[in-house]
Amino acid sequence: MATIQIRGLVKRFGPVTAVDSLSFDVTPGTVTGFLGPNGAGKTTTLRILLGLVTAGAGTATIGGRSYRDLAEPLHQVGAVLEAAGFHPGRTARAQLRIQALAAAADPSRIEDVLDLAGLTDAADRRIGGFSLGMRQRLGLAAALLADPEVLILDEPANGLDPEGVRWLRGLLRGFAAEGGTVLVSSHLLAEVAQTVDSVVIVDRGRLVAAGPVAELTAGGAGLEDAFFQLTKEGTR
Amino acid sequence: MTDLVFPVAPARPRQGTFTRLVRIELLKLTSTRLGYGLLAASAGLTALWTTLEASRAGKPNGPAPLSTLAGQTSVITGGAWGLILAAVLGVTLSSGEFRHHTATLTYLATPARGRVLAAKMVTALFAGALFGLAGYAITLADGLAFTAASGDRLVVGAATLTDWGFGHLVSAALLAAMGVVAGTLVRSQLAAVVGIFVWTIIIESLIGGLFSSARPYLPYTAATALAGAPLGSANFGPSRGVTGVAALPFAAATAYLAAIALAGALIAARTAVRRDIT
Repeated sequence: MATIQIRGLVKRFGPVTAVDSLSFDVTPGTVTGFLGPNGAGKTTTLRILLGLVTAGAGTATIGGRSYRDLAEPLHQVGAVLEAAGFHPGRTARAQLRIQALAAAADPSRIEDVLDLAGLTDAADRRIGGFSLGMRQRLGLAAALLADPEVLILDEPANGLDPEGVRWLRGLLRGFAAEGGTVLVSSHLLAEVAQTVDSVVIVDRGRLVAAGPVAELTAGGAGLEDAFFQLTKEGTR
Repeated sequence: MTDLVFPVAPARPRQGTFTRLVRIELLKLTSTRLGYGLLAASAGLTALWTTLEASRAGKPNGPAPLSTLAGQTSVITGGAWGLILAAVLGVTLSSGEFRHHTATLTYLATPARGRVLAAKMVTALFAGALFGLAGYAITLADGLAFTAASGDRLVVGAATLTDWGFGHLVSAALLAAMGVVAGTLVRSQLAAVVGIFVWTIIIESLIGGLFSSARPYLPYTAATALAGAPLGSANFGPSRGVTGVAALPFAAATAYLAAIALAGALIAARTAVRRDIT
């Protein structure tokens, strides 16, 4: 199983330093929450990890390799980054057929993941008519299509109804229980507290804290209190 | 005794065969209605234009009579300007990835972005060829029908008709590939489509009108000439139908247009393709 390793990562957009000497690990068999205020550099870090954005310095690897060097990336990493990242005129099934072909995955997996995501009845509808929650479910279905070892999810609970959030929680816990590596960014601290084993907290591109949730909340404070205390300290 | 250590070769990224990448692009193209809509629009405009040309043949300010080589040429190759829509199709193949934010999924599946660009260009060649064939089938059928209806004899030889058909296929395919390059460089679908029309309708007409010797080398003009249209006859404005300059020979025009597409692709691969996907 693959470990995610971030070392000395730096990314600047003009005068703005989005990611500043960031280092952390995400180990297999755990769900790790990636937390931080808006603009903390979470999405940029995930996009660097996935080879979509080029880092100014440092390395981001999955199983010791950069994403661009993975032999069959979709078999190793499933990612959900943007709910709107589908062509609105395409059906969900057609989208998954494209993904299955891209991953050289068994086409029978399409029905499996549609069923898993609760989208079987909507499979032949155009994605333009989907709710945000349905798009999130489709994104997760696409991410799971090639049975990856690692899941990297950016705000996956956005738009999900309570049942969907519960489904997602079960999915992530089950994935980690089978030895998978999960890195999930989220603003929903209460939900994160119920789902993750460890957290990585960033603020203004810098690492603020990293470790098991139990350690961060050892003083009796909840994750939310610990988060605000840590990010407040970071701004001083 | 020294242990022999065999260096382990790093795993080479495979990320899919090129054929698979082309199949993915074809599946993307055929799984939405846009491509079919553009093909229908191209066919409809071609039919409308050819019918108008044929019905005006031999009349004042119209094309030459259908009994003449010039008249039949004008009608049968008159729809070549509809091949612009093949270029528009090419634009949508590449810029559509940014318009709908699907570039993220595409590059997650195939991080080797240059291969994605190449697969899109090959897909555009296939799809563009279909546009060219469809357009020519319509103009040919229309031209033959009007010629027969007017009681005139077909004076264009079979070899020439075959050349024009092949020219439609090649020119539409290459225009579509150039469209992919334009969409990759610009990323904004609207800007790229507007740019295609501005270039073909205004800029080439102006340059061709001002510098007639440059006309054979203007990409859209050269493409329509490749499809059999007399040089400049598919232009708009002052350069339309200007005579006195010969079009490039078929092979030279094909090589020239292919070189433009290839050079554009290389520039795109070195610049736009490498940009961050944010």
